[in-house]
Amino acid sequence: MSGEVFRGLRVVELSEVWAGPFGCSLLGDLGADVVKLETYPRNSETRPLREPDPRVADGDGPVYERVNTHHHGNRNKRNVAVDIRTEEGAEILRRLIRWGDVLVESFSAGTLARMGFGWEVVHELNPRLTMVSLAGWGQEGPYDGYIMFGVGFDAMTGHASVRGYPDGTMSDVIPILHSDATVPLAWIFGVVGALMERERSGEGSRLDLAQIEELSTNVPHLIAEWTLNHRLPQRLGDSDPHVVPHGCYRAAGADAWVNIAAETDNQWAALAGVAGHPEWAEDGHPWASAAGRVRDRDAVDAAVTAYAGSADAWAIADALQEAGVIAAPVLAPGDPLLSPQLHAREWFQAVDHPFLPDRLLGGFLWRMRPDSPSWDRRAALLGEHNDEVLLELGYAPDEIARLRRADVIGNRYPDPA
Amino acid sequence: MQPLVGLRVVEVGGTLAAGVATKRYSDFGARVIKVEPPTGGEIRRLAPFPDDRPHLDTGAMHMAFDTGKRSLALDLSTPSGREVLDRVLADADLLIAHQPVPELRALLRRVDSESGPCTVAITAHGLDGPYAERIENDLTLFGWSTRAHRHSVQGREPLRYAPQVGMIQVANTAGMLGLVAVWGRRQDGRRRDVEVAGVEALMGNVDSSFFLWAVNGAVQPRSAGLYRGIYPMGAYPCKDGHVLFSAARHPFFTNLCRVIGHPEAAFDPRFTDPSQRADHFEEFRAMLEPWLAVRTKYDIFHEMQEAGVMCAPVLDASEVMTDPQSVARRSYVTVAQPGPGDEPIEVTVPAAPYRMNGLHSDRWQAHAAPRLGEHTGEILDELGYSRDEQIALFRAGVTG
Repeated sequence: MSGEVFRGLRVVELSEVWAGPFGCSLLGDLGADVVKLETYPRNSETRPLREPDPRVADGDGPVYERVNTHHHGNRNKRNVAVDIRTEEGAEILRRLIRWGDVLVESFSAGTLARMGFGWEVVHELNPRLTMVSLAGWGQEGPYDGYIMFGVGFDAMTGHASVRGYPDGTMSDVIPILHSDATVPLAWIFGVVGALMERERSGEGSRLDLAQIEELSTNVPHLIAEWTLNHRLPQRLGDSDPHVVPHGCYRAAGADAWVNIAAETDNQWAALAGVAGHPEWAEDGHPWASAAGRVRDRDAVDAAVTAYAGSADAWAIADALQEAGVIAAPVLAPGDPLLSPQLHAREWFQAVDHPFLPDRLLGGFLWRMRPDSPSWDRRAALLGEHNDEVLLELGYAPDEIARLRRADVIGNRYPDPA
Repeated sequence: MQPLVGLRVVEVGGTLAAGVATKRYSDFGARVIKVEPPTGGEIRRLAPFPDDRPHLDTGAMHMAFDTGKRSLALDLSTPSGREVLDRVLADADLLIAHQPVPELRALLRRVDSESGPCTVAITAHGLDGPYAERIENDLTLFGWSTRAHRHSVQGREPLRYAPQVGMIQVANTAGMLGLVAVWGRRQDGRRRDVEVAGVEALMGNVDSSFFLWAVNGAVQPRSAGLYRGIYPMGAYPCKDGHVLFSAARHPFFTNLCRVIGHPEAAFDPRFTDPSQRADHFEEFRAMLEPWLAVRTKYDIFHEMQEAGVMCAPVLDASEVMTDPQSVARRSYVTVAQPGPGDEPIEVTVPAAPYRMNGLHSDRWQAHAAPRLGEHTGEILDELGYSRDEQIALFRAGVTG
């Protein structure tokens, strides 16, 4: 059985890249009817028009249908491509708002209001609809209208300042999009809370999610170093100030790595045994105590390094896990396919798409009984459901044809040449 | 009224993930009972602590994530403890648990399949399969997820992000799904059991590499320092620190070139043609960095943003709370937290993850995190245990 939890819930997506779209895919996984209103005729951020582009898979068909970042945020939705900057396009959006239970938008603060769809207007069009806004710094405040991706919020929450190698510089720190992964989890929680509130009040809610604020809720320990002890958190790499060993060790083979941690004396004793040195954990040995291992951090790390290099990363992890020690190989992008666990759980998903090669894609974030998620819709092509959705919204076939001729809706981007 | 008023949630495990997963419930109005070992679970043992003095009630993670919960200290390894737990579960809408998998399986078997609460089981690899009973932590989950590999330099060890952010993401995945399950039951009457495996939750989400690789098979080379093929992307030095750009594409790149006084660069194929760009990184840098060197990060931030360039100042932990936007929105709040002494500790924690119906509405509230076992007696009273029965449990070492 596929996702049933949100069967009947109607979601309108007006959002690009990941923080909005990926969350909408999760709602789709849970059974919601998601209509993605995609920008047109300007192309979406995740739909480049030409190669070479490192995000694009080889194949036939338009470049913008073969982009990895686009596919990772757009399963389980329908797609309409509409120029909402025209009056007739705005009317399509108005009808979608009347149709929907949830509207998700990630424009910079104020942009949608300037286009005629501020909260007051939306709420009047459909008082039961919950509107989720995802502007990076939120809807109110001095940074009104500022624009950024997750890499910038990472920099402004203090997270970037503690990532990277302890001996590295700030410019070496690799930009990441962590908030794109965490923000959807928060706003879906918010949507369910809003649905619960609607049962009492009959009205939808306004959710103002500032991506920077959501990200900050994931790193409270960084500011705590400052507020509790007036000290800046340091770059720790993979180490832990209070757990030794705790790190990433070079395994046998080229560019092969294994993460190992012994959080308790029992785990340490098990590691010592597997490494062939049970004496490391015997009473009286300086490394037998957690405090002693912290004191002798470098020597312990050197001993673990010597052991980790004796076999390949998967074998080291197998042996340590068998004994009850925290250990795992560090996976390169394609390595998950080597995991017997992921295959045993049938995690990978084979998806049929007209322009992508046949490959196993990543699966779902959860299982649920009785209704686990299923991949009912591959990432829709641009404007693939224009006719279907507009018919449901009450447009007659000849009106739809006229909108297409007027370029208010479309299903291909202009050729960049 | 808070949106989750009336919802009854039980947290089991005492771990960081269990605590994170239920925080949003208590802050948005649900009643959360935190069932934790009388010796104090993991979340209470994680640093930092005030003055570096470890204490079960003052760890930063506990004070940030256990806000507004009630603590029931209970030894679940005993039949006595499990009897109490059964009564707690009989009164709950949702159970969120993070324990070693064998214990977790036993716990889930105690939940009545008809009348019991919805459940969310947080695991590393899931409840079944050859790796089910493996133990992982934040570091090893990160290694599994493919994120560490990308977050590293060729030839050196892959890196996690800040400590615990992977585990916190897994926990927030679990927390979100718990509310989804409760909602589903309200709609169709069916009780739901959710399983969140940390490896799957991290690997399946965005910001991991597997899915991107799976689509196009392209292995993006691990980078070394600033990106050279796509720029400006990353942190660049300025007068008083660093600014971060994400401005490699039009219109951001065009706008940036104009701001730094080199509008022609935006149309120069050396910088715009993907096949030439990487070879001319140093020339671009020689245009940008002198301009940055005489300006502060906030001056650059505002000037770039006014011109439509994606740019942000790199802030350290001492600066984030005084950022003007944080101040205006009250992005951080203070909670009076009971400490080991008579005086409460004033603790600064991040405010709501989203604002519901108004910037400062009362939908979200952060109250103090409980002392270990603070509400044991109160909860046992509610469950109908007489005082003699409560003393019996206490004397047997089951409660605390």
